[in-house]
Amino acid sequence: MNPRIPELGRFAEPALLILVSLSDGPKHGYAIMADVEAGTGRPLGPGTLYAALARLEERGFIEALAPVDRRRPYRLTAVGATILAEQLRELSEFVELGLRRLGRTPG
Amino acid sequence: MTSLLIRCYPARWRDRYGEEFAAVLAERTLGPFDVADIVLGALDAHLHLRGLGAASHGKGFAMSLRIGGYAAILGGLLWLVALAGNAINNGGESPSPLLGYSIVGATVMTLVALMGLSAFQARSHPALTWAAFAIPALGAVVGLIAYAAIVVTGDSDTTLIGGVSPWMLGSIGLLTMVLGSSLFAVATWRTRSLSRTASGLLAVGAVLVVAALVGASGALPSPVVMIPVIAALVAFPAGWIALGVSALRIDRAGATHLEGALS
Repeated sequence: MNPRIPELGRFAEPALLILVSLSDGPKHGYAIMADVEAGTGRPLGPGTLYAALARLEERGFIEALAPVDRRRPYRLTAVGATILAEQLRELSEFVELGLRRLGRTPG
Repeated sequence: MTSLLIRCYPARWRDRYGEEFAAVLAERTLGPFDVADIVLGALDAHLHLRGLGAASHGKGFAMSLRIGGYAAILGGLLWLVALAGNAINNGGESPSPLLGYSIVGATVMTLVALMGLSAFQARSHPALTWAAFAIPALGAVVGLIAYAAIVVTGDSDTTLIGGVSPWMLGSIGLLTMVLGSSLFAVATWRTRSLSRTASGLLAVGAVLVVAALVGASGALPSPVVMIPVIAALVAFPAGWIALGVSALRIDRAGATHLEGALS
């Protein structure tokens, strides 16, 4: 397995959660936080959220849309979708490997 | 409290994210976890000043995908004309000018496609992508220099540096570019950034073109030569066209996503 979103260091995990959150459509910052918390059961702090959003935007994985009131939605770009699919595929292979070693079949 | 926390961030960061960040903070009651998280985020922003000018960066990569996709399709079509023209001409001494134009056009388009698609793939696999880009790009540049020398001198017997004729240099450039295309295809297969079927087709097509060129040089008997020639005629252009279509599909998927968001 090669579990990484390139060069994101400690923000790799929040970045992955944000990409997954945006994979079903654009969301603004608070909606991403709520979605991640609902999906993982763990809070995503606003400081971490924006540090990861800035890195993802800088790399062209997400794109800011026109603000609605003061909220600015973000969407996954084609590059981001490719990176996310690759990352999830690698994670899936790793999960399968772990389950096989435990003697349990995936799914 | 909220405005005090936002002021912890650098001014340039506040210009870009301040308004929306304030909107996020206004939607929740801030606890000690949030305050600590924001202070750490502000420290990170001071250290890295991330995200400034990012929008144009992202658009640049979408654009490179689009340009690379169109160039790959056009290049594939021109390679089809060039390879078919060469097969029909059967290595004759007076090839049609159209054949020369199509080879030059195909080489230019292939170079543009290599640059655009490599820039896209380098987002996730920079070392592999740029290593695979270098050889075919070098071949294309050498080929274009040779074609320019042929046009300028108008004489295939003229020698360049080291006693190499422009035609010889052009052939070396062409072979390097075609072989390099197979390396590029293998790297594309490895990165999974574009269609694996298309990259596999291009890799096979590139090898077949080399086999056809070797065969056409007299190393193989005539009926046997036709097999790699016909296969190369189809597979190499089809590989580039399929890669281009794959790139445009990814780009279109992004655009559709955006339209859905705005409707």
